[in-house]
Amino acid sequence: MNAGTIGLLAILVAPLAAVVALFLLRGRSIRFAGWIAGASAVVTLGAALLSLPALHRGEVPTLTMPWIPAAGIKFSLHVDWLTLPFLVTEAAVTLVAVAYSWGYHHADERSGAFYGLLLLFGMGMSGTTLADDMVLFYVFWELMLVASAILILLWGDGERRGPIALKYFIFTHLGSLMVLVGLIVLYDATGTDTFSALRAGVALDPGLTRMVIGLFLIGFSVKMAVFPVHLWLPDAHTVAPMPVTIMLAAAMLSMGTYGILRFPLSIFARADIASFALPMMIAGLFSEVYGALMALAERDIKRIIAYSSVSQMGYILFGLGTLTAKGITGATLHVVYHAIVKALLFMGAGWVIKSTGRRYINELGGLAKRMPLAAVATGLGALAIAGMPPFCIFNSEWMIFSGGFHTAHTGLSVVTLLGSLLTVVYATQLIIGIFFGSEPEGLTVKKPHWAIVAPTALLAALAFIEGVFPAMLFDWVTHELPLILGGQW
Amino acid sequence: MIAPMLFLGMGAFAIYLVARLVTKENGWLASLTTGIFVAALGAFVPLAEATRQALDAGGPLPTWGGEDPGSVALRSDPGSLVIVGVALALGALTSIYSGRYVAHDRRKDLYYPLLLLMLTGLCGTVLAADLFNLYLFIELMSIAAYILVAFRRHSRKAIEAGFKYLIMGSVGTLLFLVGVALIYRERGTIALPLVGFAPSDPPGPWIRTGLAFFLVGLGVKSAVVPLHTWLPDAHGRAPSSISALLSGIIIQSALYALLKVSLGTGMSARALGGVLIAVSVANMTLGNAVALVQTDTKRLLGYSTVAQTGYMMFGIGIGFYYRIPEAIQAGFFLLVAHAGMKALAFLSKGVHRFYLDTNTLEELRGTASQLPLVAMTFTVALGGLAGVPPLAGFISKWFILGRVLQPDEPLAYVGLAIFLLNTLLALGYYLPTVARLFVAPDPVPSRTTERIGISAWMAIPLVVAAALVIAIGLYPAPWWTWVDGVGPYLLGR
Repeated sequence: MNAGTIGLLAILVAPLAAVVALFLLRGRSIRFAGWIAGASAVVTLGAALLSLPALHRGEVPTLTMPWIPAAGIKFSLHVDWLTLPFLVTEAAVTLVAVAYSWGYHHADERSGAFYGLLLLFGMGMSGTTLADDMVLFYVFWELMLVASAILILLWGDGERRGPIALKYFIFTHLGSLMVLVGLIVLYDATGTDTFSALRAGVALDPGLTRMVIGLFLIGFSVKMAVFPVHLWLPDAHTVAPMPVTIMLAAAMLSMGTYGILRFPLSIFARADIASFALPMMIAGLFSEVYGALMALAERDIKRIIAYSSVSQMGYILFGLGTLTAKGITGATLHVVYHAIVKALLFMGAGWVIKSTGRRYINELGGLAKRMPLAAVATGLGALAIAGMPPFCIFNSEWMIFSGGFHTAHTGLSVVTLLGSLLTVVYATQLIIGIFFGSEPEGLTVKKPHWAIVAPTALLAALAFIEGVFPAMLFDWVTHELPLILGGQW
Repeated sequence: MIAPMLFLGMGAFAIYLVARLVTKENGWLASLTTGIFVAALGAFVPLAEATRQALDAGGPLPTWGGEDPGSVALRSDPGSLVIVGVALALGALTSIYSGRYVAHDRRKDLYYPLLLLMLTGLCGTVLAADLFNLYLFIELMSIAAYILVAFRRHSRKAIEAGFKYLIMGSVGTLLFLVGVALIYRERGTIALPLVGFAPSDPPGPWIRTGLAFFLVGLGVKSAVVPLHTWLPDAHGRAPSSISALLSGIIIQSALYALLKVSLGTGMSARALGGVLIAVSVANMTLGNAVALVQTDTKRLLGYSTVAQTGYMMFGIGIGFYYRIPEAIQAGFFLLVAHAGMKALAFLSKGVHRFYLDTNTLEELRGTASQLPLVAMTFTVALGGLAGVPPLAGFISKWFILGRVLQPDEPLAYVGLAIFLLNTLLALGYYLPTVARLFVAPDPVPSRTTERIGISAWMAIPLVVAAALVIAIGLYPAPWWTWVDGVGPYLLGR
């Protein structure tokens, strides 16, 4: 066992140990819950970054143990360049979400369970990216669903949280089942459940190949919440408590992208995927426009930002669908940048909601004078999501669109590019609605907790820094290209 | 060979005498019954070992009841061993549980002996090597079950459920008896040949008619849709400890008898597979759909059993139809996992009933704050049944799905789609039930929300069963190996 394997274990064991500790907390010691969760999230992020030196040396830290030998099933974890961007994003989002909870979550005797479930949610995501075999992948994939559904069920806002948690569970589980069928077909064809066997090539007949690719694409699109399988998202995002919303929007949606990159795009040859490229681009375009239009129509701040996710996932699907090096790098970058900006926007919204107790855009206004810092941070987020240079999303959109222009469908790319205008409209409308105009009567503003301010400011800074100095992240992301589509570009 | 059954059968009389002559103290009776089950398990291990060795060596299977092949009464085989093993383990768990659960009931001097007799009948049913013994033991099992369903006879509904079960069950066994007569008329023997060595000449009209009677008669017992109507009542009204056994293993033992009898009297594996697949679709779809609208927790669990039996029949049916031993193995793996999960669910429900007197789903609301341990075990059970990884139900479904795809045939794909849709449908009742446990009603009712300490008699079986459900899910390897002999045996390899 070397440093790499220990790091791999630490990513999963740290949250697990913290969860056990959190569920055992009783009485007065419950006030340490947030700190325990924070410490565990720091360890996870640190351990994830620790794998970088090994990756740069060209190694792939791996841990493999037999699990069900009779059925050819193993327990294996690994980090490769495809895992890394997603793993780091997810660990970082968990950390900021936990930190944000210190200020947002009202501490009571159930706090241990709240932080524990947040960590389990994060662990589900890191496990999903780390898994090197199908059963383990699916186990973690469902863990993130179970943990997040419980969080929505128990800590959601409003009377309808029960039905909404159920809808969220059933809807995304439908996607999971499609993925499961795809996995089992592959398992059946290779007789083992390890990804390494898949990467070596799978011999399926063409009809079955098409079916499996189709199932994977639809199944993972449900998790990405692309139109028209996004129906679970607006409700779940609106009802979930803000830290959970941050994790859902900034981290969990990207797991769908990871799935598409890991399965259909890594296992099958370009010729098999080619016929799916155009449908993916068109679905991406539809999702982009639909999400933006819905965001324009909504009045609830959280729903506006939630629909913006549907729109942003459209860009990602479009980028993946180009099947070009630029498009796919751009899509992966967009995952990371969208995580930063979406977390920032939700944090800003949470700041406003927590301070004023209002969440409808027509009940708010003129807050720029009373909450200047929130106005600046959220405003930066809005500019970033609209794709303004020098903020980070500009870079990834640049890559995605240039990928689009490398395909035969330039017209489609032009339409997608123009569609991004809608983003500018809803982003400005959001900012103007909350922070400018006349202040409605009876609006009171409470002073925010430092743990709400600090992560928001940090992310606003990060959105700018990543926009100006994206070189390191570009370097990470381009390393994934040899793993995708057989590495032929 | 006969030792486990002997222990159970003699134990039943011994317990009755103890209860009548020595003590009626519930704790003592429960401990003694548990001891009997443990002794039976102890006697079961060498039998399982002998059977496995016989299979590995290709020698004759252990039998009991006479030297010449015609007079063999009992014969152990891989499938019956799985069922007997599960039944004895469940019996031990439920008798510990009963140490508290039936404390307020009268006529405990009947409860424990009947429990033992029911499981004696079960062992005989799956081990029987001829149709007559099979009939005898299935009647023993059923009669004990009828009485136990109506055990709380002060409740009209329990009486009604027991009576319905009695009528339908008796018709079932009667049809079975007619089938035996018809088979005897044509073949002149009632011995069940070793499965896979069934008579080679094609069955004549009498045997075909007899087979139809068997399928219907045993179909009633194994709650095949549309002969399942007694099940939700019986499982819903019986004491929870009894429901755990009825849903967990009794139904499945009748299913195994059905497989053994059909194959042993000359039905082809393909025909049996076709019947099972058709029936399984009805079972899972109807079970899940009707469970969605239930308001009573135990009836919901009863319909869930109808559906889960459908999943088992689906795996086993695909195995027979396409001759895939691993698919049968997967069906039996689910049988083992389901026994653990369903027993856990019923036992958890029983604790709610015992301490809070809840029946309907609505009354479960927010009970997690009063009975946290039970809320956890109930969640494990329902999560497992819903197929949430990494619990036992998920890995069973993984195994079944994997084998169903193997033949690469349209029929299998259609079945698969129905299977998956059902999985989704089932979430619609498992998840809200779990949610109800944890979400307090609004406004909080006046009844006390203080934490209730539950008796160790109940806590121990719950924790053991929950640990098993998690263990089967996390480390399925030994359980998967345990059921690996069933497929080849039933397919005659």
